[in-house]
Amino acid sequence: MNTLTTINELGFAPALQQDVLEDTTSDHALLEATRTGDQDAFAELVSRYRNQITSYIYRMTNDYDGAVDLAQETFVRVYRAADRYQRTYAFSTYIYRIATNLAISELRKRKRRKLVSLTGFFQQNDGAEAQELNPPDGRPLQDSELVDTERRNAVQRAISTLPEKYRAPLILRDVDGRSYDEIARILETSEGTVKSRISRARGFLREKMRAYL
Amino acid sequence: MRKNNCEVIRQELDELMLDETSSAAVAEHLRQCAACREFNEKQTRLRQIVGSLGTVSAPPDFDFRLRARLANDANGAAFHFWPLARRGLAVAAVLLVFVMGAILIRNVFNRPVENKQVADQHNTPATPQPVQTVAPQEQQPNPAPPLLASSPERRPQAVRNERPARIKRPLVAEDFSSQRAEVITGREPATEFEVLPLDSSLQPFKVSLDDGRGNARTISVPTISFGSQRMLQTGNQYAPKRDW
Repeated sequence: MNTLTTINELGFAPALQQDVLEDTTSDHALLEATRTGDQDAFAELVSRYRNQITSYIYRMTNDYDGAVDLAQETFVRVYRAADRYQRTYAFSTYIYRIATNLAISELRKRKRRKLVSLTGFFQQNDGAEAQELNPPDGRPLQDSELVDTERRNAVQRAISTLPEKYRAPLILRDVDGRSYDEIARILETSEGTVKSRISRARGFLREKMRAYL
Repeated sequence: MRKNNCEVIRQELDELMLDETSSAAVAEHLRQCAACREFNEKQTRLRQIVGSLGTVSAPPDFDFRLRARLANDANGAAFHFWPLARRGLAVAAVLLVFVMGAILIRNVFNRPVENKQVADQHNTPATPQPVQTVAPQEQQPNPAPPLLASSPERRPQAVRNERPARIKRPLVAEDFSSQRAEVITGREPATEFEVLPLDSSLQPFKVSLDDGRGNARTISVPTISFGSQRMLQTGNQYAPKRDW
């Protein structure tokens, strides 16, 4: 990999056309090209995954600016570790694993800093994470769009109160629509554990979202 | 049995994707079981809501910021080891603090014990201290048991008292040689003399002096003896006590 000294030397292609890079170009091939110094290939990888990774980390952390920072950190790590990348699994599994680890680290840092101090008053005794004080607004809304917005906000808040070990598989399954097998590889655990955690996560969410169901 | 069957059905429903159709057995169970039907409806509704969250787009300047970050990392590659070096420095600082603390504590506990001994000597009454006497054996034919000069538990203190001070400072002394002593001629009536209040203890007389700066000197006076006529022991019931 070439050593970079200025921003311009990166040579990203901002106006990279989709027809130039064929759909058949696999992620592995792009990363291989990145390894040899092809910055356009890395730009293509970024454009393929930036929204997915940003969205996934945002669902995990419920903080958009922090999610953007962590998504960039994810790509930085991919770029730095391109030489050591092995084609054991799909590239999406690899990059989601990095993003998951970064998001979980961020959640643990936050827990140490006790940024969500109000939730401490509603700590449950069974070891589950604290619930937010989030009573549903019972007043009738005047627009169906507002109803949907309110419901999405409520479910996002409910997800952000889930324990991190339940949060990641639920988002990967129900938001991103990934298979159990891929989730198990991303989280480096067994498929049975993933199914069990998703089931428990949905149970938690059913309780929190009772007013909206 | 029915409860277990419901659990199996619900687990199977849980593992299905939303657009997947359930098996015939599950569909048959849902027609018969109202609780599982309600569970399935709520679960499907919940998954639709969660799935409606969709994808959040990255900001438009995502690529530009990423490029800047990568370029910054490439320029500052020499500083990649700074976090490791910082951790090492922190460990070294902690070790240094521990070593300094250990040296300080050691110095505090190893200070000279003279000060403490002088304080103890001021607090203790003027009881005679057991010190080895230099009197010959025939002058003390009956060494009484209270003579504890050779007592093992007293010996370290005696040795410590006799140890010279580390810092030799001049003692403050007063010269009485120019003053005349009172002369007793023997012509005075006997009634004017007081009975000498000498204690007939066999233990030596010991005096401790302090120069006021923590330096102590101990003077030990051996047992007084006048030829064959020894002082009467205090244990003699026929002799008047404290009389010559």
